[in-house]
Amino acid sequence: MSEFAYPKKLKRRILIVEDEEINREILANILEDYYEVSCAENGAQALQLLREHTAPYSLILLDLLMPVMSGEEFLTEIKADEQLSGIPVIVMTSEKPAEVSSIKMGADDFITKPYDSPEVILARCERIIQLYEDNSIIRSAEKDELTELFTREFFQEYVRQIDSYDEAADDAIVINIEHFHMINEMFGRETGDEVLKKLAGMLLRVFGNGTCIGCRPDADYFYLYVDHRDSYDNVFAGLSEELAGYSHIPKIRIRAGIYQNVDRHISIEDRFDHAKLACDRIRGDYTKQINYYSKELNDADLYHERLINDIDDAIANRDLIVFYQPKYGIQSEKPVLRSAEALIRWKHPELGMISPGDFIPLFESNGLIQKLDHYVWREAAARIRDWKERFDYTLPVSVNVSRVDIYDPELEQRLLDILEENGLSTSELMLEITESAYADDAKGLTEVINNLRNRGFKIEMDDFGTGYSSLNMITSIPIDVLKIDMSFIRNMNKDEKSRKLVELVMDIAKFIKVPAVAEGVEDESQLKALKEMGCELIQGYYFSRPVPPEEFEKFIIDEKEN
Amino acid sequence: MITIEALKAFGADVEQGLTRCMNKEDFYLKLVEKAVKDPAFEALKNAVEAKDKEEAFEAAHRLKGALGNLALTPLCEPVNEMVELLRNKEEADYPAFLERIETGRKTLEAMI
Repeated sequence: MSEFAYPKKLKRRILIVEDEEINREILANILEDYYEVSCAENGAQALQLLREHTAPYSLILLDLLMPVMSGEEFLTEIKADEQLSGIPVIVMTSEKPAEVSSIKMGADDFITKPYDSPEVILARCERIIQLYEDNSIIRSAEKDELTELFTREFFQEYVRQIDSYDEAADDAIVINIEHFHMINEMFGRETGDEVLKKLAGMLLRVFGNGTCIGCRPDADYFYLYVDHRDSYDNVFAGLSEELAGYSHIPKIRIRAGIYQNVDRHISIEDRFDHAKLACDRIRGDYTKQINYYSKELNDADLYHERLINDIDDAIANRDLIVFYQPKYGIQSEKPVLRSAEALIRWKHPELGMISPGDFIPLFESNGLIQKLDHYVWREAAARIRDWKERFDYTLPVSVNVSRVDIYDPELEQRLLDILEENGLSTSELMLEITESAYADDAKGLTEVINNLRNRGFKIEMDDFGTGYSSLNMITSIPIDVLKIDMSFIRNMNKDEKSRKLVELVMDIAKFIKVPAVAEGVEDESQLKALKEMGCELIQGYYFSRPVPPEEFEKFIIDEKEN
Repeated sequence: MITIEALKAFGADVEQGLTRCMNKEDFYLKLVEKAVKDPAFEALKNAVEAKDKEEAFEAAHRLKGALGNLALTPLCEPVNEMVELLRNKEEADYPAFLERIETGRKTLEAMI
């Protein structure tokens, strides 16, 4: 692993403390091909450099007789400093008595003045650094004990050094293990650690030939800084399988975010933030193992940041508007208005109308959807009450209940409070839960739903057909309505497969004795076909797009007049 | 311009100086020019005139290091002697030392 951890280009850092400029220049000239050299004119300046520099020095070359702060005073200071006392010091002097006193103060070696040959000086420096590192505290802090990669601080320092010595382009790579916490939970921490170690070894094998430094900044993230490559196709291929084979954990998978040709004007942290953004963007996407950072990706990220920042204001200022789409019963001769679905829209004061497709998945991924859901529940409940009062007409409205809501222990009480505030019963606010939530945790979900149903709530399973539920599960889970995903309806008159699927869902609905709702119905032919299949309820542009509440009132008025 | 030949004629141990400079002639000559203009010469002169042995010692010590490393032997000799005398705060004819040093320095300066 030494090649990986210490590429040849990486230089140790030496500080020369010497008041005479000519001597500094001679020393720096000797050392600079092999070391990163900094200079100070006196002890005080040297201390400042040592203390403000986050990067570690491997050696100090110290002149003894200097103005402001002498070498002896400086030695006393650093030996008393916990952070600095571990750095070896070579004293440069021509006076014998000084040698004795400085060795008592903790100097490690001497260079005489006038200087010995450059070879001798270099050999001494190398020997002392080696000696210190071999038994040293320095090295242990430099490496992540588990993987032997660098720790974050040292990694950054070495990236900085690559920047200053190596003009060739570099790439920043962030690698993550998908569902790593599951590995720890299911197979134990020891296995998890083995996986991390193994992966570090594999990365070494893949990148070991060129310049490459790596670190593990936290948990299951790996950072690599490597020579630029135009393409990483096939570079990571096989690594997931190899890791799975080795650990006997079949679903293990790694993904990589790559920021190519890094801009050296931006901070090292920013470079890896870019790569991490690309890496995290393909979390859960099993079709993609590598994602490259791009400006568009960054813009999208900034846009998301903005939406996240603005959500509270949007709620407070009522920029979020709840629209309603009617659902009609179609089994009678004339369609009958039966209920409505509440759908959120965002009218941003600066960005204009924002599509729900832009913000709902985002808020689902970070949990903010809960705020949005609560808002919709309150709005919808107030609207049902308003219509009841003004039109003497009860129209049940269904609202979305997201995955995070289901795990909220307050869920039931929250809903009951909202109903109570508006004088509504549990049959008036219907709850839609997406099918994939059922597939995720059927057992936990069943319990929550049973409680809600016992209270009188009606549960609709949303997006049915997209979530891979097993038929076995469908028959055992408590639901009141099955909603067929609109993608099947859209294609049902175009391809035979979709049509068959719709028929199948209708049969399932009949079998478990619940009504089916077809979403996304756009034309009469679809309506006719669905009616023949026995579909009870229909929602879609054929009747109306989702509309603001004021506009929706005409459906209520029509319904009342007929 | 100072040349290697001129320094040899001056009495410098050019070979030694060059070795310390990794045999980079330009670098060595540049440092010699810098040494000729080293403010420590002026500081030493002032300190001797003010009879401040401590200041004089510091200045002489600095010169000793730099001139020694560059192996400018004719200048090193009087400077080194001065350093030892001043270290022990001995009384001596320091202006005479200064004159020897200044003569050497001026010789070099004339080469520039």
